[in-house]
Amino acid sequence: MISYHPDSRYLTDFATANLPLAEAVCVSAHLEFCGKCRAHVQQLTDVGGHMLARLQPEAVSEDSFAALMARVSAGAQEQFPVTVAAQVPQEDVEEAAQSHVFLPRAVRRLVSGSLDKLRWVQLGKALRVAPLQVSDESRETAIYDIRAGGRMPEHEHRGEEITVLLQGSFSDADGSYSCGDFVVRHAGEAHQPTATMDKDCICLVCLERPVRPRGLFYRLLEPLVNYRLQRMNRSVA
Amino acid sequence: MSSSEDSNIGSLRKALAGAGPQGAPDPWEAAIRKVAQHQDRAEFKKLFDHYAPMIKSFLCKGISSYADRSLAEEMTQEVMLKVWNKADSFNPTKASVNTWIFTIARNTRIDFIRRNGRAGRTIDIEDIWHEADSPEPVVELQQRRVETMIRNAMATLPEEQALVLEKAFMENKSHNDIAEELALPLGTVKSRIRLALSKLQILIDR
Repeated sequence: MISYHPDSRYLTDFATANLPLAEAVCVSAHLEFCGKCRAHVQQLTDVGGHMLARLQPEAVSEDSFAALMARVSAGAQEQFPVTVAAQVPQEDVEEAAQSHVFLPRAVRRLVSGSLDKLRWVQLGKALRVAPLQVSDESRETAIYDIRAGGRMPEHEHRGEEITVLLQGSFSDADGSYSCGDFVVRHAGEAHQPTATMDKDCICLVCLERPVRPRGLFYRLLEPLVNYRLQRMNRSVA
Repeated sequence: MSSSEDSNIGSLRKALAGAGPQGAPDPWEAAIRKVAQHQDRAEFKKLFDHYAPMIKSFLCKGISSYADRSLAEEMTQEVMLKVWNKADSFNPTKASVNTWIFTIARNTRIDFIRRNGRAGRTIDIEDIWHEADSPEPVVELQQRRVETMIRNAMATLPEEQALVLEKAFMENKSHNDIAEELALPLGTVKSRIRLALSKLQILIDR
């Protein structure tokens, strides 16, 4: 049962494609779990279609259609190709299917088909993190894997954090969250998520800026964590 | 089901009573089908004459900072080329022709903006803005009805609400962009848009 959804700002900015890419990935992932939000996005897109059809037309040049048909006859594909990066290989898709974690399309693409191939950074006993490259410099995107029953270090957010649960569930002082939930934490909010006992909790996380661990131990660890993540990013890029 | 959803469906039924079970027929569906099935160039010419000037208008608004009409012209051609190439993927139970063409124009625009950015590409636009693989038929049916509702209700929106919708959907501005441009708090922009959407019977919880 999905209890936490993107608000009207996220859904509208998604439907109009005005959301930063990393946040759009999170909304897109949630939509694959949530028929209700998917229906809202369809309705919002209809608003776009309706408004498009009522715009004051802007004349195109007279030879535009002929030029287009010449390209069609020459077998032209789009000049702005829809697909530039390599497709996810079929064996990766099959591997993902076997791993029993349902990955939304955008995530499947970002992890090249399988979570196992990511470069994981172990952070303490309960948490490992794999950074993802989303070409969105304002945010950091990563997959978090919290071990069943494990507890993350308590941390505070310097910026907005979006978490989409892909598998399992976790809870913190404010509530409990399960697969498909879209959870937003704002700057200044601190929490200490704990995964439920039955299985590992896998999350897609998009951070406006890095989180700041609150305890002294993690405060000391922080530069190390950042260093390790940065080195990871470089080696991935 | 929450009470807001109940009332939503109630007013949908009322709207439907006047519009017939399928709503108003879409004259452009048949044209798309002929393009898909027979590569019918005469029908495609009609689609082009009708839609290309709207698409160009949309792209001119969206890329006004580049202020380059020939660029909008070029992108309009790309959008219409996709309409030709993808005609067989058009599904009239999921979207109207207007909506379908809007999504293609929207994706082409964002693809163009990203191409101009320096960032490398690790994901395609259509991996993010795609039609989910497992849509629920019941939801689809309601969606088509809502479209009739939108058509009828749009004309009655107060000026300030119509303005924020116009900026969001046609000028490609985020809530933050609109707040900045109109010198309004983000919360005010959000509530105006929510209010406008609720008049269009798009009832998002928060």
